[in-house]
Order: sequence, then structure tokens, then C-alpha cells
Amino acid sequence: MLDGIRILDLSEEPGFLAGKILGDLGADVIKLEPPGGDTFGRRGPFLGELADPERSLRWLALNTSKRGITLALATPRGGELFRRLAARADVVLETAAPGSLEALGLGWETLHAERPGLVWCSLTPFGRTGPYAQFRAHDLVLVAMGGNAALTGDPDRAPVRCTLPTAYYAAGPEAAAGIAMALYARARSGRGQLVDVSMQECQLATLVTAPGQYSLSPKRRGRTGARLGGTREIWRAKDGDVSFGLRGGAARVPSLVATVAWMAEEGMAPEWLRALDWKTYNHNLLSEQEIARLESAFRSFFATKTRRELFEQALARRIMLAPCNDAREILEQPQLRSRGLFTTLDYPELGARIEHPDFFAKASRSRIGIRCRAPRVGEHNAEVYGELGIDAGALRELAREGVV
Amino acid sequence: MGESAGLFAGLKILELGAGAAGPVATRYFADQGAKVVRVESGVRPDFLRLLHFRPGDPHGLNGGPMFVLMNPNKLSVAVNLSKPEGVAVVERLVRWADVVSENFSPRAMAKWGLSYERLRELRPDLVMLSSCLFGQTGPQRMYPGFGGQGSAISGFNHLAGWPDREAVGPAGTITDSLSPRYVALLIAAALFHRERTGEGQYIDVSQIETGVYSLSEAIVRASARGEILTRRGNHAEDTAPHAIYPCAGEDRWIAIAVFSDEEWRRLCAALSLPALASDARFASVAGRLAHEDALDAALAEQTRGQDAVALMHRLQAAGVEAGAVQTCADLLQDPQLAHRGHFVRLAHRHLGELSFEHYGIRFSESPPRIETPAPDLGEHTQRVLGEVGYSEAEIRSLAEAGVLA
Repeated sequence: MLDGIRILDLSEEPGFLAGKILGDLGADVIKLEPPGGDTFGRRGPFLGELADPERSLRWLALNTSKRGITLALATPRGGELFRRLAARADVVLETAAPGSLEALGLGWETLHAERPGLVWCSLTPFGRTGPYAQFRAHDLVLVAMGGNAALTGDPDRAPVRCTLPTAYYAAGPEAAAGIAMALYARARSGRGQLVDVSMQECQLATLVTAPGQYSLSPKRRGRTGARLGGTREIWRAKDGDVSFGLRGGAARVPSLVATVAWMAEEGMAPEWLRALDWKTYNHNLLSEQEIARLESAFRSFFATKTRRELFEQALARRIMLAPCNDAREILEQPQLRSRGLFTTLDYPELGARIEHPDFFAKASRSRIGIRCRAPRVGEHNAEVYGELGIDAGALRELAREGVV
Repeated sequence: MGESAGLFAGLKILELGAGAAGPVATRYFADQGAKVVRVESGVRPDFLRLLHFRPGDPHGLNGGPMFVLMNPNKLSVAVNLSKPEGVAVVERLVRWADVVSENFSPRAMAKWGLSYERLRELRPDLVMLSSCLFGQTGPQRMYPGFGGQGSAISGFNHLAGWPDREAVGPAGTITDSLSPRYVALLIAAALFHRERTGEGQYIDVSQIETGVYSLSEAIVRASARGEILTRRGNHAEDTAPHAIYPCAGEDRWIAIAVFSDEEWRRLCAALSLPALASDARFASVAGRLAHEDALDAALAEQTRGQDAVALMHRLQAAGVEAGAVQTCADLLQDPQLAHRGHFVRLAHRHLGELSFEHYGIRFSESPPRIETPAPDLGEHTQRVLGEVGYSEAEIRSLAEAGVLA
């Protein structure tokens, strides 16, 4: 979809996913790293437990479909090369602290003036301007400041985050979408523009309108652990957790009816539950006592089944219940496999073959999906700088000067 | 909406479906001037219109707060698709539209005769996108579920919470907020492709797969080294301190994340904890990770009496990453979000004034706009049908036949 679009990707870890998405959609993404590589982004865990930036699994996972070059932006020669690269690019994607590229004379205003068609995406913790623009934040601080942490976790403990950085996962596709939208606008107007993405602001969408609801009726919501709204959403099966809800209105009632029918077949539906009038069921009207009674009946039943048994019947009986999968279970999930979600990439010099989730969407016209593995440090220096007329000898000179 | 401005001025999007995955995605376009028409029906209403419904609710299908907050800037046309005449109305709308975005379960559109194969005959350069839970193909495509199930299957629930407790999942059933972004991205990319080539296309998105793709790191680590990541509270694998600490007041907290020895020394200085700074156990990352519980306890002791926001400012000024854990009330007052104009207060005819939200992108060429609150069901039926060429008499007779319900 984005074939032929060249993207200079200066981003650090928070922007890895955004660049990967654009590459997986067909863009020619050129990843810039400092000479020697992005040591923080290439940190462990490492393939084969060998501490080597080329073996960073985080790097390999999130930098597919990119070419890689090195460049010391803060050197005069590096800055000049960056401008020459930008002159041939459609998009710049960066995660630099607001003002830091400007301090090098490499800011959006300067480059835009040189190339009016340039789209520039700035992905920062809080946006390019404003009272918190200079605040530093990675995932933990972003999920705190963006409102998700306050609502995640158990009421008797601290707010909690996800083991992997969901703030980047929210902001990555948002930034990629902003870039695609700006490219669409450019195709019509000829003008590029600045796409200013705030990772904090991206977090608010994870609250699915909770702030707006609060603005309407200021009722303090706390953490509810395994509950969602007023009722339980995560339940213990024999061998782990499953998701199953009591809320949802008419759309969910058939699933509840089917669950109770299954419980009845197994002699585990109490009389009152079998007699319940589902036509008038409304989760908003349940008393705490009714909720407790319902939860106890479902809990006792789920506890007698494995997650596999529960999901098999969920599929057969159209019950809205699902296992809380771990990564191995996801790799084996039959529906995902049948759609060819996973693709195996070869790393011959590392002696490894690794399964990656491919770009999932199926498009009738455009070829999309992972095109190549993540680049090694400076892997495409010769190729990319060659386009600027820098030959092998000149490149060696630049390397000696610490520019590449 | 009046004369539209914005990146997508003049673009027409037809939306069929319910919930979040489709409707949140089209907001990106509506807030940038696209005309987004929801095709919906009172016969089988969007479940979000009813999510908070209680009997006797005077607003009926039109006062569901979550629905209202997710669907400003849109038009609503009521069409009963169980009637062939209703399908004919949608076909007429498809001829007019640039984009059709739908998130019904897989067989619904085909059952009505509204498959992509049919719709492209009506509008050859149509961009059509389907985004159901599990995708349009595969043995489990008909599995019914909401975002809670999407979060579970895609792996997010397993990764959030405390290791000694059941999974909780990030609040807000995360596939409901992840998948709309990918839907918006793909619609925009397909429109860009159409601008360049004149070609439309069909795109099949599985909400669950957007979640799995996002968790590429977990999948790659499992595949490459057999590692199964699980929930671990707030601790990071490779740095400490990295946690959320109590502050003064009820349920007030601060997140603090330190990534280097230098930042550790700055933190100790800013908290006036010289003893901690010189404690040999905490001098290196390895030491801090090994004694993380003692470290957390010592820091919590110091943060407990302090105001979260004041402490955040103090630590940030000292070069330490810190952020107050913000509640919904805090977000509505957050000066940075105010600076970006995140919240837009607008009066809704049934609910009164409430705060609508923008997404996280600002374009230098055109600010996003929220001009009208969410529509009542069928509020714009006459207007939109008139725009695509139905006469008043035709509209009246369709309404009398129960087609526009």
C-alpha cells in the first residue's frame, strides 16, 4: 500500500512499532542508528543468551521490513548527510525530545522549508509543545499519566501495568495512521505537514470513553481487578484463567443462555439459574447479592473445566468465553494458524529460525506483510549512502571520522 | 455538519456495525471533515446504544453514554436490512460512498447480499474494510465475543496484573482500542493507494490479530528461546527502581522509572535519601534488581507523605522519570491535555454537556474538530437519502413500509 514511499526512521524504542508497521505495509523504511547501533533498543534478552546487539530479540521483533544505516546526527558531517537523505525521503519519523533536533539545525521547520512535500511525524511522550513537553517518560510513566494504570489491577494493591510496553503499542499504529493520512493529504495538495503524536494522549483511548463518562456523572471508579464494570470478567478455570462476561445486554444473552444449558446438562445449574428469565435480564439492574449468586454458580462450573474444554464448547455452543492465552498458546492457536498469521524468518548467521506475527490484514489489491528481517547495525550503509554518490572509499573515511 | 474542512473534506464513509472496533476508527476521518454515515437499525440496535440502558430510560436508544461519546460528528440513517428494500437503500448509499467500513460477524454482509464482490460492481473504486473479532476466514471465524475475549485470546490479559493473582488485563479491553487504530491506518493507506492508482480494494482485519501483532516481542521471545512472558506487576526485567509508589491522599500514586546509575543518584538526591544513595546493595542495576523489594519499601516510605503531582514536578525537574497516576478526574484537569485541546465540551440533546475526546494526532495543516454530538438513531435518514437522490415521496413510502426503521 505504501510501496515507493521512503521513510527515514530516527526513532528509538517507542517508535519501533510505528516504523515496522509502515515497512510491513510496503514503505521503504530506512532506520537510522548511531554508529555502533542503538544499544538501548538492542538490549536483551538475547538469542542464545549471548549479549550481542545483533541478537536482541526486542530489536528483531520490532524492526522487520526496514533497512538499517548508521549516522552520527550530532556531527556537522552527519547533519549534512541527514539533510541529503531527507531530500530524497517522503517521511521522517522521530522520537527525539522536543527541541533536540532543532538544536542541531535538523528540525521540522528547517527540513520542511527545504522540502515542502515532506511529512514529519514526531512521536513524543506528551506532544511537541505544552507544559509537560519536556517531561521524560517511557511506558510506565505514560500508562500512569494517561489514565490506564489507575484503573488496572486489584483494589488492594498499587495500580499496575502490562509486562510489555502497551503505551508504545497504542502510539505505534496511531503514528503510522497519522503518516498515512498525511500522505493521502499530500497526494491531493502536494504539501507535507507535521504529524505531532502524543503518547500520553494515545493512552486515553484505552479507557474507551471513561473520562467522558466521568464528565457526565462524576462517579469515582477504582480498580476492579478481575471485574469489568460491576461484574466479573476473568474467571479461574482448572488450569488458568478465562474471560467471560455477565454484562453486555441483549447481544450477550444468547451466550449466557447457552452456558446455563451446558451447565444444566452437566448437572451444575442450580434450580434458580435454570428458572431465570433471560428475556428481562439486564446486568445494570442486578443487586450485589444477585451478582454474587450468579458469579458463584459460573465460578463453580468453570473451575471444573480446563481452558481447552471451555473454549471448545464456547466454539460449539457460541458462548462468549475465551482463554487468557500465553505466547505459546497463541503460537498454537488454530484459527490464527489457519489464517497464516505467523511467518518464519531465517537468521542463518545466528543459526535461528524465528516465528513472527506477520502483518495481519488481508488486502485484495496491495501486497502487505513482513518483507525482510530486522537490519544488522549499518547493514545497508553501502547501499543507501551509495545512492548519494558516496563510494566505498568515502564510506570508510566517514567511518574513521565516526560519522557512520 | 456544515461545510467541512480538514484532511478528509469531501470524503464519504459508510459505516455498518456496532461497538468500538469500526465506529472508533471512522472518528479519525469524521474529525478531519469526512462525512461518516452510520447505517443502523432500531430492529437490532448497536449494543452500545443499550449498554447502560435501564427500563424507563427516557432517552431510549439515544442516551447510551459510551455510544454517544464514541460517535460524535457522524450522521445516522435507519435502515432495516432484513427487508430487501432496505438492502437496496444501502446499495444506493454504496454508490455514493468512497469507503465502507463494517464490523459485523463474518456472514452478515454476505447474507444481505452486500459482499465486496457485489459492492464493487456498484462502486468499482470502493475501499471496503471488515473488522470482526477473528477475521473473515478460518474455522473459528464465527466465534462470538467482545473486546474482553479479544484481549484474552490475543495475550494481553495474561501479561497484566500481579504474578500471584489472576490475570486482569489492561483496563478497557485493549483490542477495543488497538484494532480501531489499525482500521483507521488501513483505510487511510488504502485511500492513499487509490489516490495514486485509482484502485479500490477490500481489506479483512481480525481484531484479535491486531493484538497478537502488537505483542510481536512476546511471540518472538517464545519462538526464539521458549520463553513465556507473564505478568510481573510493575517491575521491569532490566532496570530498577521501576514501580508505582503510594503518595499522600486516598488512592494516590506516583510512577517512578530509573534507567541508569546516574538517574538513581538523582532520585536519591531529589528525595533527600543520602543513606539510600550510599547503600552498596543499590549501587548498581544488578544490585537494585536483586534487592528490589527492599528498594521499593525504602522509596515508598519516602513518597507516602508527598503530593503525587508536586513530587512528579520535582523529580522531572531533577531529571528522573516520574508521573502521577491520573484518574479520570485528573485527566479532565490535566494541563498538558488541555494544551492539546484533548477534551471538547459539547451539549448533547439528551445527556446535556459532556466532554468528548480527540485522538492522539495533531496535523499542522488542520486541527481536528468535533462539531456535532452523536446522532439519534435515524436522525439523518431523510437528509442523507435526499442527498443520494431519493424523492420525498419515495422516502415516505419506504418509511411507511417499515424499511427506514
